[in-house]
Amino acid sequence: MSAGVPGAPGDAAPERASILATVRDLRATREHLRSRPVSAVVAALGTAGARFLDPEDAIRREALDRLPRTSGLSPEMCEVVLDGMAADWTPERLGELVEIELGDPRCLDDLVENEARSTMAVGPALCVQIGAGGVPGVGVTALLRSLLVKAPTLLKPGHGDALLPELYARSLAEVDEALARSLAVVCWPSERQDLLEAALGGAEVVVVYGSDETVAAVRAHVPATTRLVAYHHRISVGVVGRDALTRAAAPATAAALASAVSAYDRRGCVSPQVIFVEEGAACAPAELADLLARAMEETEKRWPSGALDPAEASRLHQARGTAEMMAAAHGGSVHHGGAWTVTWEPRGWPTVPVAGRFVRVRPIRDATDLPAVLQPLRAHLQTVGIAGLGPRARAVAVALGEVGASRVTPFQSVPFPPPWWHHDGRGPLLDLVRWVDLEVTPPGLAARLSR
Amino acid sequence: MERNGSFDTLARELEHAFDAGGENGRGDTSLAPWSEPRFTRLALAAFALQFERIPAYRGLCERRELTPETVTRWEDVPPVPAAAFKHLDLTIEPARRPEAVFRTSGTSRGRRARGRHLVTSLSLYRRSLVPPFGVHVVRGDRMPFISLVPPWRERIDSSLSFMVSAAAEAYASEVLWLVDGRGRLDEDALWSAMRAAERASVPVLIVATSLSLLHAVERLEMGRPVRLPPGSRVMDTGGFKGMEREVTRDELHTRVESATGVPASMMIGEYGMTELLSQLYEPVLDTGVHAFGTYVPAPWLRVRALDPLTLAEVPDGTTGLLSFFDLANAGSVCHVLTEDLGSVSRGRVRLQGRAPGAEPRGCSVAMDELLSAAGEASHELGA
Repeated sequence: MSAGVPGAPGDAAPERASILATVRDLRATREHLRSRPVSAVVAALGTAGARFLDPEDAIRREALDRLPRTSGLSPEMCEVVLDGMAADWTPERLGELVEIELGDPRCLDDLVENEARSTMAVGPALCVQIGAGGVPGVGVTALLRSLLVKAPTLLKPGHGDALLPELYARSLAEVDEALARSLAVVCWPSERQDLLEAALGGAEVVVVYGSDETVAAVRAHVPATTRLVAYHHRISVGVVGRDALTRAAAPATAAALASAVSAYDRRGCVSPQVIFVEEGAACAPAELADLLARAMEETEKRWPSGALDPAEASRLHQARGTAEMMAAAHGGSVHHGGAWTVTWEPRGWPTVPVAGRFVRVRPIRDATDLPAVLQPLRAHLQTVGIAGLGPRARAVAVALGEVGASRVTPFQSVPFPPPWWHHDGRGPLLDLVRWVDLEVTPPGLAARLSR
Repeated sequence: MERNGSFDTLARELEHAFDAGGENGRGDTSLAPWSEPRFTRLALAAFALQFERIPAYRGLCERRELTPETVTRWEDVPPVPAAAFKHLDLTIEPARRPEAVFRTSGTSRGRRARGRHLVTSLSLYRRSLVPPFGVHVVRGDRMPFISLVPPWRERIDSSLSFMVSAAAEAYASEVLWLVDGRGRLDEDALWSAMRAAERASVPVLIVATSLSLLHAVERLEMGRPVRLPPGSRVMDTGGFKGMEREVTRDELHTRVESATGVPASMMIGEYGMTELLSQLYEPVLDTGVHAFGTYVPAPWLRVRALDPLTLAEVPDGTTGLLSFFDLANAGSVCHVLTEDLGSVSRGRVRLQGRAPGAEPRGCSVAMDELLSAAGEASHELGA
């Protein structure tokens, strides 16, 4: 469905009539989609997804060829991102996702016995997904989720993330043409609210990714009876405990931090923006900042930053200059090279703007103080990367959960959450389905009622 | 006296020089830019003071190894990013209470912290703004002002309000303030002011932001069109940026003309920012409507377009990030790097708005935005 439809990426904006026709056509594929066993859907979707991992496959080659231009990331980073994202698009990983989240996958096909009832998960007649643009591949992950629950899917990809969904649609059409008819990738300018309305009018579930403003704007167009799943702006941070700050451990800690910050050029919602470093270890926070700066430089060689557009370059001058003045006024230090910047911010620094691969290092007396520190961010907090907390990790995670965090994970895993993660604290498939229960009369109830 | 002389001495010299206007002195209405040697001498004197008195700025300069000992050209004086005005009090008299604190209006997203400009000497500001206003807007005449900008007494944190109030003191035969400190337009007063001006056959000056002008025009469009006397004019300070409403400049001009009779050739654009005490004007009264879009800086303000990546100066007429060296900023920092794009051709500036590439994309949000949104711009996230 995607290839050649008006509004495919790169074309001029489609007309309202063509969006309405796409919505109608997608809804018409539902019957076929529902008739397919979930195992076959998982297999087809995964086969189309795994092609992005196969070095011999034309789809992967085209993706790697075009991604640097469309995403603004360097070719090296594009490869890292594609490998990381597509690892979750295989039949195995998609099967895992369905199973971990819904239990018996056959609940997507039929009623399954479940203690006192039989229950079935029904996906929406149409799922409209509005993507964000920061990280390439998020759009594919999004459309896979709704197709997995057998929902015909219309994806409006984010600016900068149109290529992979477009290629995925093509890949799926080559693998399973009938299934591919349930997917449309359609681009239109965000200011065309009439087109948004046309798309949303046919949806049973709407998923939106993006800034709080984008979410609010889409919410205003969603009818009361349509479910809205919103992934609004998020912020992620990290905390380094004393165990990771011994003389022996600190360099490796810094290297793991540098990879977590540099992935996606810090554009991901999982990208840590501040690293809180425990005081009182052999390696002091200021020293870790020095090590982190060195590691950022090394990472830059391995995964170069993407070319900066004029706006990002301009923000970088503002951010660095302001940070340098702040360091002169409040103490602390600023390290930078290429597009990376590390600031060591002792107590008293206001929160200044950032740009490029930019990470702040701040001191913390003890990791258990972190939840109170993060309190102001609670509505937006997402991932907290951790290192060196040892057995304290459990208690810290519980306390972080209380202030809004939804994911606590070692820095190595920060950039690529597993497919079954509780995305922003929720079940990505559970959010899309409606459960149908067939209840049976409990023994004794009929007799009680007739007395 | 300090090693580098005092601010008061420098300010006195600048005030006298501002009074005289352009390079050719009093009476020369061309407002020619100050000569290079004169500008450089004063620029380096101001830099020496600012370097000595503002530790944050000194730190920035030392990192770049550009200090008063090594710098001989004003272009090499390190520019301060405009964003720094949001987080630091940049004043060369930290012990002295500033005579005013002007604040930026914030952006459409309303999230980022607002900038603040601590003004050491309002007299210096007043004397820098009056001569260019006289040349570009009123041509030295006194005339009635109709202000759609709130008076300074009601908006003491607005550099624009101060500017209009000071210009009115210098050039207004009378002044009607039609918008109050909360931005409300007095509609009845608008109508009576326009009718009275129409009857009096004396040209008037309307001073407005683009938004307040649009609001007024929308009201006037509901009644009989007014015909302001010939010679009447409008000074438009711009300012749609970040507002929910926006119309093109052409549309605004057309509607102003049909509602008031003031032709486009009498509509003068002004460009200023809170971080700079000097202004730029479109020389419409000199060169007519084809001056639209090009701005002439005050004689003591130098503007350059810089490569967004390297910050090297780009060739004449080429687009780059605009940086301003404003001697009227002697009490804070003179050299300011903005996020605005534009080009400079033979000293005239063409503005193009913010650098493209738009806002940061995607699902991640920068922490400074969040904290500002939560009203905690200065909240230190630390333990």
